[in-house]
Amino acid sequence: MNENELAYMSVAEQAKLIEKKEISPVDLIQLYLDRIEKWDGVLHSWITVCGARALDQAKKAEAEIANGNYRGPLHGIPFGAKDQITTGDIPTTMASIIQSDFGEGMTATAVTKLEEAGAILLGKNNMHEFGKGSSVNFHFGEPKNPWNLKYEPSHSSTGSGVSVSAGLVSTSLGEDTGGSIRGPAWANGVVGIRPTFGRVSRYGGIMYAWTQDTIAPLTRTVADNALVLQTIAGHDPKDPLSSDRPVPNYAEHFTKDLKGVKLGLVREMSVGQELHPDVDKMLKSALDVLTSLGATVEEVSLPKAKFAIPLQLLTSDPDVASIFVRKWLRQHWDKFDVGTRTRMAAAALVPATIHSRAMRGRVLVRNEILNSFKTYDALVALMNFVPPLKLEDSVEKIDNKEDIATRMFKSRRICTYPFSVANVPAISVPSGFTDEDVPMSIQIAAKPFDETMMFRIANAYEQATEWHTRHPDLEKTVGPALGAEMMMAGE
Amino acid sequence: MELTKDDVRSLAKAIDLEIPEGDLNTVALRLSSLLDLMEQIETELGDEMDKVDPIPPVYPREEF
Repeated sequence: MNENELAYMSVAEQAKLIEKKEISPVDLIQLYLDRIEKWDGVLHSWITVCGARALDQAKKAEAEIANGNYRGPLHGIPFGAKDQITTGDIPTTMASIIQSDFGEGMTATAVTKLEEAGAILLGKNNMHEFGKGSSVNFHFGEPKNPWNLKYEPSHSSTGSGVSVSAGLVSTSLGEDTGGSIRGPAWANGVVGIRPTFGRVSRYGGIMYAWTQDTIAPLTRTVADNALVLQTIAGHDPKDPLSSDRPVPNYAEHFTKDLKGVKLGLVREMSVGQELHPDVDKMLKSALDVLTSLGATVEEVSLPKAKFAIPLQLLTSDPDVASIFVRKWLRQHWDKFDVGTRTRMAAAALVPATIHSRAMRGRVLVRNEILNSFKTYDALVALMNFVPPLKLEDSVEKIDNKEDIATRMFKSRRICTYPFSVANVPAISVPSGFTDEDVPMSIQIAAKPFDETMMFRIANAYEQATEWHTRHPDLEKTVGPALGAEMMMAGE
Repeated sequence: MELTKDDVRSLAKAIDLEIPEGDLNTVALRLSSLLDLMEQIETELGDEMDKVDPIPPVYPREEF
């Protein structure tokens, strides 16, 4: 086994080696620290790396396991956390320069649960400023897509997607309000889930879209995602909106086939749109796989889904802005990235009457989606109608109304916001590559709290394809940029 | 809806927010576009919206 193989292994595979004492958690942490040192000067997927702390914890884990106290499949597994998820005395920067730490000593419940399971925090992942996805300038370096540096790594939980994809960590926690986990999963070729709202405690996440925010993992396989989600899920007294429903063992419900499963292909988020040829080809191939597994696929129309983007921006964004104005925007306008501050200012000025009407609109969009689950076990949609964009085309530019229409309302958001507005679980699963080796994904959504069905479909699809076995060749994609990065750093 | 920079400046004053001149146009464009879209939504869904409560979709206690 060479270092690349170990770095790109799934959590489940790494866990087996740790349990059998064939590798030590110390080896794994050191491997990822070395890879971060080598590659992250270009990829910019980390803001804080807590190497010494992680190595210290790895040594403790190694001793526990040696003494027969193996805690389970996350014991000794390194994880990252988007830098808006609090981690005690390790700073939470929000990728902002307004203040050095927004964490106020809190530790997110999701982080606590992972650490109780024996996982080891490796560091804090880079992100769009405040997770708003509108950053133009990055205070901690611009994250890069490890598959092809010329293409976007998508928005918000970007460093989480990049680091998992590039084999710089085993898994990472992200945060998804409108697609902030699913987007980076799509662009970087990994698995990312938005769980049902309430499935995972929001405590300790610095996030103010209180009706939509979710914390969840990005991983290299569906099974890993299910494992991490079930570890962090469950009721938390610190989050009054967290659910007390029992947390299933998702993997127990995995099946090789999908016989009897009825899928609705959302026309407005797939075949009803003008698709890029590569996306069209990928979707047809994915549908062939799903039907070959025994699922039936029918087109379903959700016409109200097209309103999800403005409805989210008129409801959740003002909720966020209400905090921003009081705490930061009045005092620190110039320290915000221009994309973040103008988006938040516009949201702050939405009249209360419009906000209330938009909340009614969200109920209608949600009802339409929920009604579809009376007919279908799950919905299938694209993650975008085009593959990830070239970097220069992915930056949100707001010079006129046409820009806003194309950049804000015809973007990847049209495929992710509907499930966010409805607060149903949805997962982005790698489904192919463009000719330029840029990843693409399909999305699977299920009814509230039916992550079991969603994971079952995603896992069966994944195991019937080979996309999850492909990983970026960093020597080829990032290597040529290393010299330039060192020269810019004056080395 | 075509909000001007002055409109935005006045709205911002109501919440004690001073938006620098260089960003006023972008904020006006963003807000105008959102309000335009809300008008479209009202045209298509307004009657239906009158018939539902604006309950936030947070449902840990709902049955499915």
